[in-house]
This record gives sequence, structure tokens and C-alpha cells, in this order.
Amino acid sequence: MSPPLLELDDVYKSYGEEQVLSGVSFEMDAGDVDVVIGPSGSGKSTMLRCVNRLTEINGGDIYLDGDCITDANTDVNELRKQVGMVFQDFNLFAHLTALENVTLGLRKVRGMDKAAAQEKGYEHLEQVGLLDQADSYPAELSGGQKQRVGIARALAMDPKLLLFDEPTSALDPELVGEVVEVMRDLAAEGITMLVVSHEMGFARSAASDIIFLDDGRIVEHGPPEQLFENPQAARTGEFLSRLTHEGE
Amino acid sequence: MGTPESTTTGRTIRGRAAGLTDQPLTLLTVAVFWTWLVVRWTNDFLLDGALIERNTSFFPTAPFESVASTLGSLASSLGPVGFPVGWVAGFFEFLAASIPYLPQLATGVWATILLTVLGIALGFFIAVPLSVARVYGGSATRSVALGYTELFRGTPLLAQLFVLYFATPLTAIIRELPTVGTGFIPAQAFWVAVIAFMLNSAAYQSEYIRSALNSVPEGQLTAARAIGLSKVDGIRHVVLPQGLRYAIPGWSNELVYLIKYSSLASFITVRELFERTDAIASETYRYTELFVLAGLLYLALVLSASLLMEYVEDRVAIPGLGTTSR
Repeated sequence: MSPPLLELDDVYKSYGEEQVLSGVSFEMDAGDVDVVIGPSGSGKSTMLRCVNRLTEINGGDIYLDGDCITDANTDVNELRKQVGMVFQDFNLFAHLTALENVTLGLRKVRGMDKAAAQEKGYEHLEQVGLLDQADSYPAELSGGQKQRVGIARALAMDPKLLLFDEPTSALDPELVGEVVEVMRDLAAEGITMLVVSHEMGFARSAASDIIFLDDGRIVEHGPPEQLFENPQAARTGEFLSRLTHEGE
Repeated sequence: MGTPESTTTGRTIRGRAAGLTDQPLTLLTVAVFWTWLVVRWTNDFLLDGALIERNTSFFPTAPFESVASTLGSLASSLGPVGFPVGWVAGFFEFLAASIPYLPQLATGVWATILLTVLGIALGFFIAVPLSVARVYGGSATRSVALGYTELFRGTPLLAQLFVLYFATPLTAIIRELPTVGTGFIPAQAFWVAVIAFMLNSAAYQSEYIRSALNSVPEGQLTAARAIGLSKVDGIRHVVLPQGLRYAIPGWSNELVYLIKYSSLASFITVRELFERTDAIASETYRYTELFVLAGLLYLALVLSASLLMEYVEDRVAIPGLGTTSR
């Protein structure tokens, strides 16, 4: 049996005195879409950043496709080719057009020539519905468009796993839909995604599993039906009902 | 008739479009200045005085002298009310007196430009790694870069010139290099001055670039790293292209400073504009005319530099990247 695509094994992370992750363990298989929810400060984003080692963990192990990626001799640049990330505030390269944002990694990391990179770049812009904005600079795009370019940029590297760090929380409400729609398409295509988000509609319909993180620990981990209809922990129910009420 | 409101609108629009064509007078001055320089240099350096003998001005002095003397006698015949005419006469006298020295000053301008351009361009290649070390380096590289900057910003440029020229073997080494001091290649003092300006302006340029790098949001490098670029590549492909654009206005300032600071090279015998002016003045005792003239030539150089940098800024402008907010 093949190993899980991603495995976190008893992961600890602290900033000085402050314990952010206290023994987080879970697995996800290729094609899974796991949505991480939890109150702010619960360690969701930190956990995500540990997976591509933008943040270094203090204890435990993380495995990608069976390889331990948290030991000292892991090439982080090699790892990050395989794990894409979409940021809350987009972080598009401000001096590059949408197309150049997508092709920079292809050219400078993958070493593709310009023509081949552009061809692939156009493909991914089309995938997120932004072919007509290829030559626009980030400042000329709406928030939703920026985030879709951010997704195309991550997708272009053909990652094994795509991380989403609150991809819709910096967006005006009317722009959330277009980004969620793209994410739904990706989920349907079988792209493995680990998503920190409170988009409950997306979580309900697209997630394989939902992970409820509170105070650096996984409180509950299960399919959406379980968490939404029949939560095992009292705190999950409380949190979800608060979230749903706020959403309405 | 322009209401106050429409005036304001007009100004805003002009302000936004402030381009090269918006300053016809500057543009004209710079065009005349450079036409003169290029013709002069071509004649003196390349054509060996084919158009007109070297050190002979293109412009005759006689017409200016006769206008000056006519106006001068007119002014004195007008008595006490003739003083404005007298001033105009004085201006023509100044022109007549200045013209013979223009060819020699043009040679000095050539050296001044060469010194400034080489100094700032070579300094730039030191300044970029210095500023990157200041912002992204470890504590050791940071201190080395800081030490360099403080040393060269904290001591007088003139002292740096003297130390390099008199107290180091640099002068002797450069003198022995082939072709130095022959034909078009200036003598060793010039090259010592270039090295001094390079080292000194690198320190100042790195400060401008450092603060510009600091204004690039942190998320830019994070995103670059997240797609698998190394830190160095992320700085090179993402941070620097943005930071250097932010640095242009401050950097232009350094260019303008260096044009004028290059006059210090005269103290180590470099035959640039200030040295030429001073040398001719002490022969002819026409100090006022010559230094006013030198001042005007420096002004023309500075205007050219400002115009050039404005052009560069426009050319590399990217929507939303700060520098076009004029």
C-alpha cells in the first residue's frame, strides 16, 4: 500500500514561550481536499507554513509521499517545487504581469525556456479564467482576479499538494465566489489540497475531511457530514454553530 | 476665462503627465548644451581640429564686444537712468570675455562626465550587494556592510582622494599599466579619482537602495521562496526589480551630488571642469567670468542628469509600483 501523500506526525511548534502547535498528527491521501478550521490563533496558518517549511517545526516529523521533509538535509527549494501555496493577501509579484507571475517559477526554478513557460502559463491562466488578463499588472486586477492568478502561479509548478492559507479572507464578499469556484474546479480535478478557510459552503461540498484545530491541537477530524451533522466534540459544535450564525 | 477650479484641474492633469515634453525650456537648454559639447569633442578629439582649430571657439567674440561697447556708450550718454542698459552691456561683455575659454572648458566637461559616470556606475555594482547584505545578510555580513558604509560616509571625500592618491601604491600601480596616460586614456590621477568616487558613492547609493529594499513588502520574498526560488534568486528576481525602481528618485539625487563633488578631483591634479576653470582663471585673472561660466556648465550637466533620470523612471514605470505617483 502506498504511503499517504502527506503525513504530520506529532508536530510541535512554539515561538519562544508560546506553544502554537502541540502534537498535531493527521494524514491525507492523494486527491484529498482537507479543510482546516478553527478560531483565530489556533495555529492553522502556522501548520500550513510548516508543510512547505516557511516555518520550521520544533518537534515531530512531516512526510510528503513517504519522504521525511523535516530532517536537516532536506532541500527546501526541492520541497517547495512540490508543494504550492496560495496566500491570504495574494503576494503577487508586483513588478510582473499576470503571465510573468505564473511563468517566473517555471523559468527560474524549473529552468524552462521562455516560449514553453509562456505556453504553460497561458494554460494555467485559462484554467482560472484569466486568459484575457495575461498582460495586466497586479495593481490593475481586482482582489478576486489577483487570487486566481495566485492560484495559477502555484498550479503552474505542478505541485503534488496545494496549500491555501485563508485564500478568501482578504476579499470583498462579492469577489469570494469566483475564487471558491476555481477551488471547487481544482478539487473536482483531483488536485490534493490542504485549505485553511472558513468558507463553509466549500468545506461542506468539496472537502474530503475537515480538521478542527483549537489551541494547537486537533480537536476533531472527520468527513464534513460528521462535523456538521454530528460533531463528536462539544467544542466543534459550538465553534461551527458560531461560524454558521456569523455567516448568516 | 479660467475659473480657479479649472486652473486646479489643469495643474493636476499636467502634474500627472509631467514628462519630458512638459519642460520645453530645460529640454532646449540641454539640447543646445549637448549639441555644442558633441560637436566640440568630435572636432577636438576625433577629427583633430578638422572643423575649426583646437582651442579656438566656434563663436566670434567681435560682435559681442561691439554690442557691449555700443550699449556701454549709450548707457553713459543716458546718464543716471542708463543703468539697465549698462547691465545688458555687462552681459555682452561677459559673453565676449567667456567665449575664448569655452573650448578648454569643454575638455574639462568631458573629464567631469567621465569621472561621474564611471564612479557612479562602478559604485552601483558595489552598492547593490552592500544594500542586500544590510537588509538580508546575517549579523556578520551586516556588520561588514555597515562598517563599509559608515567609513566612506563618515570621512571626507577629499581625505579619501588624498589617501588613495598619496598614501597607497595605487598611483604607482596604475601608472605602470599599459596605455594609461596615452592618447584618449587619461593619466593615473583620473583613475585614482574614479576608484575613490566608486568606493564613496557605493556607500551613499547603498543607503538609498537599502531603504528602497525595506519598502518592498515581506510577502514578496515569501511568495518567491514558496515557489522554490532560493533566497538569493528571490532577492534577484523579485525584491531587487521592485526595490531598484523605488530607489530611482533618491539615487538620482546621488548622481546630481556626484557631478558637483567630482570637482574635488582637481585637488589630485585631474584636469576636469573645476581644475580647468581654476587654471585658466589664475592665468587670465578673469575669475568672475570663468567661475560663473563653470557654474553654468555644472548646472547644464545637472539638468541633463535630472532629465535623463526622469526619462529612465518613466521607461521602467510599472502600474501600482509607486514611482509613477507623480
